[in-house]
Amino acid sequence: MDRYTQAAWLIPLFPLAAFLVLTALGRNYRRAGVFIGSFGSLVAFLLSLLIVIDRLGANEVDYNYSFDWIVIGDYTLRIGFEVTNLTALMLAVVTLVSFLINVYSAGYMKNDERITVFYGYVALFTFSMLGLVLSDNLLSLYIFWELVGVCSFLLIGFWFTLPKARAAAKKAFIVTRIGDAGLLLAILLLFWYMPDHALDFTTIQSVFDGQSGAITNGITTLIALLIFLGAAGKSGQFPLHVWLPDAMEGPTPISALIHAATMVAAGVFLIARTFDIFQDSAAAMETVAYVGGFTALFAATIALAQNDIKRILAYSTVSQLGYMMMALGLGSLTGGIFHLFTHAFFKALLFLGAGSIIHAVHTQNINEMGGLGSKMRVTAWTFAIGSLALSGIPPLSGFWSKDLILTIAWETNPLLFIAGLAAAFCTALYMTRMFFLVFMGKPGAASSSAHESPASMTLPMVLLAVLAVASGFVETPWNSSFGSWIHDGSEEAHSSGVAIVGSIAASFLGIYIGWLVYGKRSVSRTAFQERTPWLVKLLERSYYVDELYAAIIVKPLKLLGSSLMVIDAYVIGGIVRLTGAAASCAGRAAARLQNGQVQAYGLAAVIGFVILVAAIVGRRFLP
Amino acid sequence: MLPSYLTMAAILFCIGLYGALVKRNAVVVLLSLELMLNAVNLNLVAFSKYGVVPSLTGQIFSLFTITVAAAEAAIGVAILIALFRLRGTVNVDEFDKMRR
Amino acid sequence: MFNIAITGEFAAFFVFSAIMIGGAVLMISLDKVVHMVISMAAVFLGLAGMFVLLEAEFVAFVQVLIYAGAVSILMIFGIMMTKHQAVEREPAKPLHETLAAVGALCLFGVLFFAIRTTTFPEPQPFQPGEDNTMAIGELLYTGYVIPFELLSVLLTVAFIGAIVLAKKEADE
Repeated sequence: MDRYTQAAWLIPLFPLAAFLVLTALGRNYRRAGVFIGSFGSLVAFLLSLLIVIDRLGANEVDYNYSFDWIVIGDYTLRIGFEVTNLTALMLAVVTLVSFLINVYSAGYMKNDERITVFYGYVALFTFSMLGLVLSDNLLSLYIFWELVGVCSFLLIGFWFTLPKARAAAKKAFIVTRIGDAGLLLAILLLFWYMPDHALDFTTIQSVFDGQSGAITNGITTLIALLIFLGAAGKSGQFPLHVWLPDAMEGPTPISALIHAATMVAAGVFLIARTFDIFQDSAAAMETVAYVGGFTALFAATIALAQNDIKRILAYSTVSQLGYMMMALGLGSLTGGIFHLFTHAFFKALLFLGAGSIIHAVHTQNINEMGGLGSKMRVTAWTFAIGSLALSGIPPLSGFWSKDLILTIAWETNPLLFIAGLAAAFCTALYMTRMFFLVFMGKPGAASSSAHESPASMTLPMVLLAVLAVASGFVETPWNSSFGSWIHDGSEEAHSSGVAIVGSIAASFLGIYIGWLVYGKRSVSRTAFQERTPWLVKLLERSYYVDELYAAIIVKPLKLLGSSLMVIDAYVIGGIVRLTGAAASCAGRAAARLQNGQVQAYGLAAVIGFVILVAAIVGRRFLP
Repeated sequence: MLPSYLTMAAILFCIGLYGALVKRNAVVVLLSLELMLNAVNLNLVAFSKYGVVPSLTGQIFSLFTITVAAAEAAIGVAILIALFRLRGTVNVDEFDKMRR
Repeated sequence: MFNIAITGEFAAFFVFSAIMIGGAVLMISLDKVVHMVISMAAVFLGLAGMFVLLEAEFVAFVQVLIYAGAVSILMIFGIMMTKHQAVEREPAKPLHETLAAVGALCLFGVLFFAIRTTTFPEPQPFQPGEDNTMAIGELLYTGYVIPFELLSVLLTVAFIGAIVLAKKEADE
């Protein structure tokens, strides 16, 4: 039953068509934006769902269609699309979240003047992401990778009249550019070393799997590290994580779509697609694992001290992406992808909930909120489900995926296991803190006028909450059906009692302490701050990483820029002015010849004649 | 002998050229012009005697040039007189109507 | 070129050339215009002597008659009729003068170079005939009669033109 798979190339075209139509329509057709955008992503989602159903059986063959695109001499670049189980999964996730965001934005962005533009950008993003997922070779993946970055830039800076939004959009683009440079270098290296200069994933798989020795280990490590650099940029790993918290300047539906569920997952997806390269290089795997683990703990600690609701969720996303990278680095493709799958749902849910709250109280500072639980019931319940899923409480989905990662860590690298546990503890703690400060307790300064959001906003949240509960059951420690499906083969389930107990204990401990401090208020909120104010300040300023970058990188670059500007103004400008002045001087000098006096003309004639004769006579003497 | 006559003519010609280009008074310019024409005459007559095929043609030619030069000198002075009546000066620097 | 025997012809040539060059240099360097004309006359006379050396007696005669006689007087008339400043006091134009001098020198250099490097063929003997005037007259009225007639037309036109140009404006 392959026919839906064969039509997979149609899936990105619906959002693309939606983008084109919306761009052509302009700003006036506000209702049209909503319907066309949602329709495009709905059709794409239905088609993706059909493809997933198509492939649910065991041992489905990967489908690949490609054609010759560029022929240079004896090198042919083929381009096309490929549908594997992994690809089908990503298609479904991306289109589903995109559809839900389209519906949600109808309510959230209702009063915005440029709502049609917004929907156009969202459709363009969806198209790019789907193209990225369906790519069958690294070059076309890179093209869509860049396109996704552009859409992210456009959407973060959607409210471009705000200077903060502009700065955040630029920062996002520039920081991910550093990663993209790494990915480009990796592609170039692969082009150089691969037999026949092939860049498609099937060939990469066959060359690196089993390693016939075609490519030396040093080069393999280099390629893998460069690909990881690209993934780290897009997925916000340390030290390229700085753009993600600032990206919260964009509208909340965007934060949910791009910076929680899909674009940031592109890095993980890339590593999953080129996993054979990584498996060949132990050094690269270790790097990925350690960077991922470090980022997970690092970001979780920062989130403990943030006061902006979206920033907490942003650092939480960075932390969870760290978990995914750690899983991949430890050798488990299943772990990374499974966590990506569950994280997409509950993180999108949390962001939509945050958007609902912001829409109601018009502030993002959690210290000004409070007591919203009674006024916004649906939001509160779905947010609670999302928080519990993120904290890893069984039987919600987050528990199963996080547990899988911790199990693998326990089996291979106890140090990373400890880091993972600590990060889980912090995660539970900051989510509980946020929940209590926002929804419980006495109403804060801004909560008086709050009311529940309209159905267009709450329905997607409810749907995501259902998924957050249910999506975890596809992969349990006793039944690894998800893993087998992703791997096109059978995979034994991992289970480890230590890991299960440890993760549950860490999560419950975090929730308990959070309840003590923020719920029951038996421990003072400022207790920690009074004892170690420097620590709290450090966390609040996210370890001063931004300031460090500003001092080390931004300032010298600005200095270089201004000195180059001086050179441009004075040296190059001077040369240009000199040329102009020379021309006008020459003109003025020549004009002195035109003084109307016959003797001057006669003199010029004589001199000219002499020169002419000398030239002709002088030719005799030239060798 | 021929080269000496020719060199002589060249000297006279160049001196006449310098005078025609530098002198301020228009009459003096005309005078220098006559000097140049004389140099040419010397050339012609020298070639008539020492040339490849000596004949009287050179001398006859020089008679013609003398005639034309005299006519031209007369016309030149007449023009100068007319210009002087108009402008009041014979300083060639003043005659720059062709400027721009 | 410089291994010439000191003959009488050479001595005469030397004297006449000294007169000519001296006169020309004086012409361009003297102050008063009338003096300039006088030195020009000296040049004309020297030139006449040269023509005699070259066995062109008739041309020498015509030279004295027309140049030293008529043209010099014509120039003096021109000077008298155009009330000049008696002395040429001109503001110096050093650039112009230098360039003109350089140009003239270069021109002379080129001509000198051409003269020196040309190999003139051995001249055949010159037969001017018994009577130079008669020979010229015969040649003029037989072979060159058309240029002769044209020249007379030219002279007629020239003197009519000169009269028209130089007469006072009729008081109208």
